[in-house]
Amino acid sequence: MIYQKIQITLLVPILIGISGCASLGVEPWERDLLAKKEMSLNADPIDVALDDHIYFSKEASSGGKGFGGGGCGCN
Amino acid sequence: MKTEKINIKAALTIATAALLGTNNLAQAESSTTASAEENTWEFDSAFLFYSEVDRVSAGEAIFNAKKIFDNEEVLNLKLTVDALTGASANGAVSQPTVQTFTRPSGSGQYEIAPGDTPLDDTFHDTRVQFNGQWTQPIAPDYIASGGVHISKEYDYLSLGVNGNIAIDFDRKNSTFSAGFSYFQDTFTPEGGIPKPFASMLIGNSNDPSWDEDFAKTRIGSEDDKSTADILLGFTQVINRRMLMKFNYSYSMVNDYLTDPFKILSVVDSDGAAQDYIYESRPDSRIKQSIYTQSLYHFDTSVLDVSYRYMWDDWEITSHTIDSRFRIPLGDSFGTESYLQPHLRIYQQSAADFYRPFLLENEALPVFASADYRIGEMTAFTVGIKYGMLVNNGHELAFRLEYYRQTPTDAGFNEPGVLKDVELYPTVDAIIAQVTYSF
Amino acid sequence: MYGLIMNSLNIFISGIQLQHLLKQIKFTVFLLPFLVLILLISSHNVNSQEVVNRRATLEQALSDHQGEVVYLDFWASWCGPCRKSFPWMNKIQARYQQQGFSVISINLDANKMLAEKFLIETPANFTVIYDPKGKIAKHFKIQGMPSSMLIGRDGKIKSRHTGFFTNKIPEYQLEIEQLLNTNEVK
Repeated sequence: MIYQKIQITLLVPILIGISGCASLGVEPWERDLLAKKEMSLNADPIDVALDDHIYFSKEASSGGKGFGGGGCGCN
Repeated sequence: MKTEKINIKAALTIATAALLGTNNLAQAESSTTASAEENTWEFDSAFLFYSEVDRVSAGEAIFNAKKIFDNEEVLNLKLTVDALTGASANGAVSQPTVQTFTRPSGSGQYEIAPGDTPLDDTFHDTRVQFNGQWTQPIAPDYIASGGVHISKEYDYLSLGVNGNIAIDFDRKNSTFSAGFSYFQDTFTPEGGIPKPFASMLIGNSNDPSWDEDFAKTRIGSEDDKSTADILLGFTQVINRRMLMKFNYSYSMVNDYLTDPFKILSVVDSDGAAQDYIYESRPDSRIKQSIYTQSLYHFDTSVLDVSYRYMWDDWEITSHTIDSRFRIPLGDSFGTESYLQPHLRIYQQSAADFYRPFLLENEALPVFASADYRIGEMTAFTVGIKYGMLVNNGHELAFRLEYYRQTPTDAGFNEPGVLKDVELYPTVDAIIAQVTYSF
Repeated sequence: MYGLIMNSLNIFISGIQLQHLLKQIKFTVFLLPFLVLILLISSHNVNSQEVVNRRATLEQALSDHQGEVVYLDFWASWCGPCRKSFPWMNKIQARYQQQGFSVISINLDANKMLAEKFLIETPANFTVIYDPKGKIAKHFKIQGMPSSMLIGRDGKIKSRHTGFFTNKIPEYQLEIEQLLNTNEVK
């Protein structure tokens, strides 16, 4: 049951990624909103680091958040 | 807090992973704010205060320095100092009578009043951590990053390295990333490493035979722990307003994973504690998680929602939903100010060796721990952050949050007096933070 | 009152309801991209009249500089490397102008006001053509921001660059100088 859930959860994003690449996305000059600091995947890194420390110390789960992508796409 | 120590190394992994997020992106700043010009430093300083009602309090200060060089290379240096004080649950259950426990060091006892959850307040400690991260493009559309971590407190040393690569394709609409990290920790707890399931020696620490008897409950003075993580990520720009991310992570933790300061109560059929024994956890843990995050830019406000599902070979599964909604206030309440409410909902299931207490007449399980942090629980956090620009484009922000953890009954029968005591006490905490960036 | 709020929050969040809530939220989060996809497909449109107007402005500017070497630059206010390139573009405009050289820039801000604000902070001593819908950029198949093209004296595109790197400035200048030294080919 759980493994079925996991499979679906992994499959959906992969399908979006593969089939969607052609139709999803923007032209390089359409990234004005994406370039903003608040549209960063890790917009408040200090807050996230402090919170992660708290939740790691008080709960059984940690991490998984990662890095990379988004932004202005410049250079 | 010494009881938190075992978990701090992992906390630092997370801190590093969060750090990786800041360094990998060659991002443009908004043209209206002071941007990271080449060859200038950007500094962030923050102070956080965390306080649980009647329990642990902690203060943490971070100082982060970032420099972007000519060719988009980024150097990030971070210094963290934190101090813990207060009391933490030792794993024993409360009783309608007074209970006495021995401090982890072996030198001294402490008493718990009837009906109270046993808390050990011996822990005061200060930790210093340093992170260094270097990021640079290695080819068009390829960015690599590597970093080191070192953290030290009175009885804990953690050393770590990390590396990752991010690859863009389709006009940078899609990004694939892969990273790893490795940590090696050494733990030298006060009082040494207790023998798994040995009875806690309770008596008078000043007795001439005490030291010898106490030493019999110990199996060593220090132990190690290693953690290896890999993370695979995929980011996709959906449209001009929306971005999505998907991650998968795999983590292997080995060696000493037990909390040397936690015990379990062994109770008889009336629920009265007959003995306290030191807990014992497996010497390995494999955790996996899938994570998804969406960012959506409305007319002026931004919504950030993420979901993480974690599962491991201790049979713990957890769901985390985290959301932030940033509302710009323009210049009416301060220069370029904003308000950002925050809501986080968390739920986890108990580890298969979690036992709130042990029964006298049952066989000892292979592993057991009464630490509520690996038991069944739900938790939520609500908070608000306010930020504004001061002094020439520097940012000042305040954050206030309320965190409530509610451990729940994972289906254990409560014999006798245990029905009348609070076995799963709720923990309430306040989080307050000030950040200044310049 | 406080107790009441806490109690109701607790009941709301506990147990089975949470599982159900989480399942619904999880489902919605994954459904979102599909909804977005449908919206995207249904909202596609083209305004051909505007395309003609923008292209005409550029064509006019190019014909004004016929026989010259033209550095065509695509920029936007939200692009960091673009800001870094402006002082250099001002410099080359001044330095090579006499030899028959011009910088023509195309601004791609969707909001013209942001571009004007940028130009107040970082002035441009060269032509700026506004292309808020990105039609010119699309015509030239721009792959990244910023992008630049060098047009030779014969009116043909001689080189293209995606991105602006300060350590490549000598390289960019060499290219310009090489083109300036060639005479017009018929």
